Amino acid sequence: MKDISNKIKEIAKKLLENGQVDIFMAWEKGEYPFQTKPFFARNTEEADKIIFDEYSIHNLSNSLLKFRDRPEKIGIVVKGCDSRGIVRLLEDNQFQRERLYIVGVNCPGMKDPLKAMKNNSGFGKKTEEEDLADKCRNCMQPNPVIYDEILGDIQEAHLEGDRFARVKEIENMSPDERYSFFEESLSKCIRCYACRQVCVACNCRTCIFDETKPQWVGRESSSSDNMMYHLVRASHMAGRCVECGECERVCPVNIPLMLINRKLIKDVDQFFGPYEAGMEYIEGAIPPLSVYRENDPDDFI
Amino acid sequence: MQILNKNKLKAALNKLAETADVFVPAARGENSGFYSWKTFDQEKDELMLEALNVYLPPKNVLFPQTERMYSFQEEGSGVVIKESFEDSSPTVIFGARACDVAAIDCFDDVFLTRGYEDTFYKSRRDNTTIIANACYQPGPNCFCASMGVNPTDPATADIIIRDTGEDYVWEARTEKGTALTQKIADLLENKEVKIPELQAFSKNVEYDGVAAKLKGMFEHPIWDKLSEACQTCGICTYVCPSCYCFDIQVKSFGEEGYRFRCYDSCMYREYSQMAGGHNPREDAKERFRNRFLHKLEFFQERYGKPLCVGCGRCIVACPAGISITEIIKEIKEA
Repeated sequence: MKDISNKIKEIAKKLLENGQVDIFMAWEKGEYPFQTKPFFARNTEEADKIIFDEYSIHNLSNSLLKFRDRPEKIGIVVKGCDSRGIVRLLEDNQFQRERLYIVGVNCPGMKDPLKAMKNNSGFGKKTEEEDLADKCRNCMQPNPVIYDEILGDIQEAHLEGDRFARVKEIENMSPDERYSFFEESLSKCIRCYACRQVCVACNCRTCIFDETKPQWVGRESSSSDNMMYHLVRASHMAGRCVECGECERVCPVNIPLMLINRKLIKDVDQFFGPYEAGMEYIEGAIPPLSVYRENDPDDFI
Repeated sequence: MQILNKNKLKAALNKLAETADVFVPAARGENSGFYSWKTFDQEKDELMLEALNVYLPPKNVLFPQTERMYSFQEEGSGVVIKESFEDSSPTVIFGARACDVAAIDCFDDVFLTRGYEDTFYKSRRDNTTIIANACYQPGPNCFCASMGVNPTDPATADIIIRDTGEDYVWEARTEKGTALTQKIADLLENKEVKIPELQAFSKNVEYDGVAAKLKGMFEHPIWDKLSEACQTCGICTYVCPSCYCFDIQVKSFGEEGYRFRCYDSCMYREYSQMAGGHNPREDAKERFRNRFLHKLEFFQERYGKPLCVGCGRCIVACPAGISITEIIKEIKEA
């Protein structure tokens, strides 16, 4: 990992020095050994701070959205899941490929700095220390799918067994059981919108939840408004979620957001697929739900 | 001195809950916050009085995330107010840490002083008794002392309890506190016990002079750099014990409806969206800057203290690893 970290630093310095990029997106170390955070270097001096370690879990592709209307050329480090986020942005026409220099890292799996921060904070109960973040245990694409340069050895996916196992359990519940499961999970929501903000697929310029005329979803943190929020958020992810797991990782109240996203992934694959979002970038390709076809299945409606 | 033996803690909570809704710090599933003792599940929930603190602050007790204000109905050609929802039921916050009590002091400043009284807040506040749990072992992200808070002696608490290991020293500080103490008088004992000593803070920050310095820093390039990683979610504002911004909204169903208020966050774009379409804080940088200027400059100018009580929750919760203590240091060095 140290080796990869040094190589990234070298690449960043070279790119910034010869003007190939204006900004290089990677990570820097925070206050604690387990705290690694996003960092955008703009010159070789700043690039000295760049690191890549077992806590470089953040999907930086979301940060490109801040620069979508700007002229800068950007260097960015992506793991497997993050690279699918880049495909998302390219397919959605939110970023131009030629503005990017992508450094791919074959990812051995990450630890979660947020979980470590919480565990070391003294707030509430400690949870078990884990070698691998939840999202990485469900990873099926550790190796980047799009890059200009690739680092590290090819990695095996960590996902063991059926990634839809829990989805199927919920599907097999009775409607009442299912309703109370979601009512309980979603009643905790504090509507901080962190799940939306960290999502690379949430790239609408004006989010439906920010619209006021009309206001589509009420602002009460009540079970009906919360359910509406999550229902709409999830539907908008259909065929678009790249399974980076950031929404669930950052949720301050532990809502099982990936479970909801996976249900949509499973359905899109079943009804409109076979399809996995963001697995390869083909210029001009149209993801299933971005286009209407007369023979689209509708008998499940 | 008066003490409450820890074996009698649940009996005391039960007794207090006979006449008030008692909120206790507890872990519920993977989450922790202040929950009503009425809803406390003895098997699943866990009291967190001995933990440093809980993840969600007690602010929702006095200032609920969603609060109905009044309901209305169409009548003839006009509208009549049907009901006002001011809540004056007796409430107890049991075991709040000094930082969280200091945050309630900030709420008091905002909602009760300067010529305007927020009747919804006042009604709750007047009927709430605060039992503070003195803090002797600061955590890794605690810096309350740097923000002017005394962790062992929260001045405005009605009662202060001090954890000595086996007992809580019980000290009523106000009339409200004395009245509540009488309800559990038969559970208290008189005993001399040793009060713990305050341990050193591992995190310190120099806040002196920050507000004055910020006055000239609105256009400083530091904000570009500091805000870069911020993804403008609202976690920091929602876990913050002292953030109090709210929005007033309405829900109507045919000829009737109700008006309510709910938490809002300066991190959201919609927060500063104006009716004509202009948004003075379109970018993340502008929203980020506003949050820290409000905490460290504007509130200081208006109320003579910062709107940060040093609890450290935002530092722990920020997905981008942004830390208010680092920001204060950067401002000092800028």
